[in-house]
Amino acid sequence: MILFEVFLGGLLLGGTYGLIALGLNLQYGVARILNLSYGEFFMGGAFAAFFTVFLWKLNPLLSLFISVPIAFAMNWLIYQYLMMPLIRRAPDQDALDADVVLVTFGLFFVVQGLALVNWSGELRGYSFLSTGVPVFGATVAANRLLAFLGACFLGLALFLVLRYTRFGGALRAITIDPVAASLVGVDVRKFSALAFAAGGALAAASGMLVSTFISFTAAIGVEYTLKALIVVIMAGVGRVTGTLAAGLVLGVVESVGGYLLDPALTIAINFGLFMLVLLWRPTGLFTRA
Amino acid sequence: MDRRTFVKGSAAAVGATTLPRIPAQAQSAPASIRFGYSITMSGPLAPGADSTTISAYKLWQKRVNDGGGITLKKYNKKVPIEYVSYDDQGKPDELLKLTERLIQQDKVDMVLSPYASHMNLASAPIINKAEYPVIMTTATTNKTYELGPRWPYAFWNIAQPRASSGALSKVLADLKKQGKIKGRVATVHPTVEYGVENNEAFLAAAKTDGIEVVFTKGYPLGAADLQPLIREAMATDPDAFIAFSYPPDTFMLTEQMQIVGFNPQLMYVAIGGVFPTYKAKFGNKINGILVYGPADNSGPGMDEFAKAHQAMFNRAYEPGAVNVYSALQITQEAIETVGEIDRKKIRDVIAGGSFKTVWGDIKYVNQLNADPWAVGQWQNGELVCLFPASKAGAKQMLFPKPKWS
Repeated sequence: MILFEVFLGGLLLGGTYGLIALGLNLQYGVARILNLSYGEFFMGGAFAAFFTVFLWKLNPLLSLFISVPIAFAMNWLIYQYLMMPLIRRAPDQDALDADVVLVTFGLFFVVQGLALVNWSGELRGYSFLSTGVPVFGATVAANRLLAFLGACFLGLALFLVLRYTRFGGALRAITIDPVAASLVGVDVRKFSALAFAAGGALAAASGMLVSTFISFTAAIGVEYTLKALIVVIMAGVGRVTGTLAAGLVLGVVESVGGYLLDPALTIAINFGLFMLVLLWRPTGLFTRA
Repeated sequence: MDRRTFVKGSAAAVGATTLPRIPAQAQSAPASIRFGYSITMSGPLAPGADSTTISAYKLWQKRVNDGGGITLKKYNKKVPIEYVSYDDQGKPDELLKLTERLIQQDKVDMVLSPYASHMNLASAPIINKAEYPVIMTTATTNKTYELGPRWPYAFWNIAQPRASSGALSKVLADLKKQGKIKGRVATVHPTVEYGVENNEAFLAAAKTDGIEVVFTKGYPLGAADLQPLIREAMATDPDAFIAFSYPPDTFMLTEQMQIVGFNPQLMYVAIGGVFPTYKAKFGNKINGILVYGPADNSGPGMDEFAKAHQAMFNRAYEPGAVNVYSALQITQEAIETVGEIDRKKIRDVIAGGSFKTVWGDIKYVNQLNADPWAVGQWQNGELVCLFPASKAGAKQMLFPKPKWS
């Protein structure tokens, strides 16, 4: 029975991992920008939720109406005014990657520094849906369940958009080959900017959902950038729906492995799996060969 | 900012040598007392350093300078506090370089403690070699017992593992003797130095006190889900659940224990349990939870401290900051007793004196705080101090811990 509960817990955790990584994969896969300041928007979403609860005594879900549009707009601006100059002058993707990593790394320090100055370094947290929900005899946390459902919803929505809309088709074309996409009339800059902005908005949304069951500080962003990056690399760059699946695999293996072996090994198991995937399928679990 | 005044100061010193007519008695007081510190202002440890240590430094400087400064008897004058500070980014090697720099290049009058156990330990040999007395405010490790006496200029202010874990074991032994519990305990800890050392210290104490440890396991710092661990501990049916935890897991354990309905009669969480945020998040659900490193908010001078802190930072103080503040008060009293910056004499005053501070009465034995507040408890929304029980202000323990409502 406990094993089943552990499995369920791993599933919920994995959904969260997938959720955190969705936006980054959109940014890295479609817009080809490895955004190291990604986690800062996650942090921003978490803080927006926290302030909504503590300052205005409202439901933290309402913070999405503020944090998601702001994150979208800011990421769009970042793409247009910080990334475009780099893209224009870069001779190839490798040179661009190097520049982008440096600039977004700097951006991460700026955003984190501003957050620390304005919101202090205090540990934050609030209680929302922190009750147990019975699921087939096991108990899961309602707030984790909400984050999981949020992940499924956003993952599915993204899948449908990418698969069945013209906009989604354009994004997939850019993912596969930006040059060819522009040759067939896709406005690569415009769509990349939108994908990048949507990725930032997803970061804020996931920050809100995850903030219901973690405690966090203004410095937490980088930790989640790294978590997201691991999932993205495991799933395969640009495999947006595979991201969710990779997250689930990671969560379940971590939880069940930690339970069966030793809880102290959970992080080792995590990275062990990551290494295996890199050795076995260096381009990711869900890329087409 | 500080270099300029330093240059001014040196210019004044040069000026003094070229004007030999000034009589020796009227030797001019320094324009300021320059305190140097290297602390973590960026990286994962920065938030903790800010709320525990840096805020206490800022508050102390403001309050002392508002009153004119630190009195130097020798010159019969109050002299304001000035800071020279650097960011060590949480890296011990940076800390070492910067501390050397503070002492050799900036030539500060005094040095203040960095943040976190390993950083405190790392800086001790340097300040000791340069003979700068420093009260280390955030080090709790078994190494202090062994290394502490080797560094006469380093003082250790907070409860070391044997003190806090020993107190917990004694409580359990007492309850067992009274027949209130069976004496079965489950312990968990993050696999970091603090967690491992405290757990070891507790296991050793439990053995002597005849307490049965039915479950003990580690988890990695930053674990994403502690529910399986809680389930395992729960299955062993302990009377007491003790977590030598760090802030994120202190919060996660408290929440997930509620979710699965785990109600031990006694529950202890370590770091983070005293944070104002802990109370803000859980409200009165934390009633009866034992915590590490409390401060007595009804102690002498605490009202003014709390108000000044609120006014300066617009938030409630973190009890750890009270310990840091007490170290600053002791430093100030020692300087005022000596009446000038004579670091050898200041060191001797700290080592031999007994001090009234916001964190209770403090005196050092072999440079270790003789009886720092080690274990506290949340009682009806208030943080109270329990152990050491012999200390003035200690309250009675609320037992058993009320069930989660």
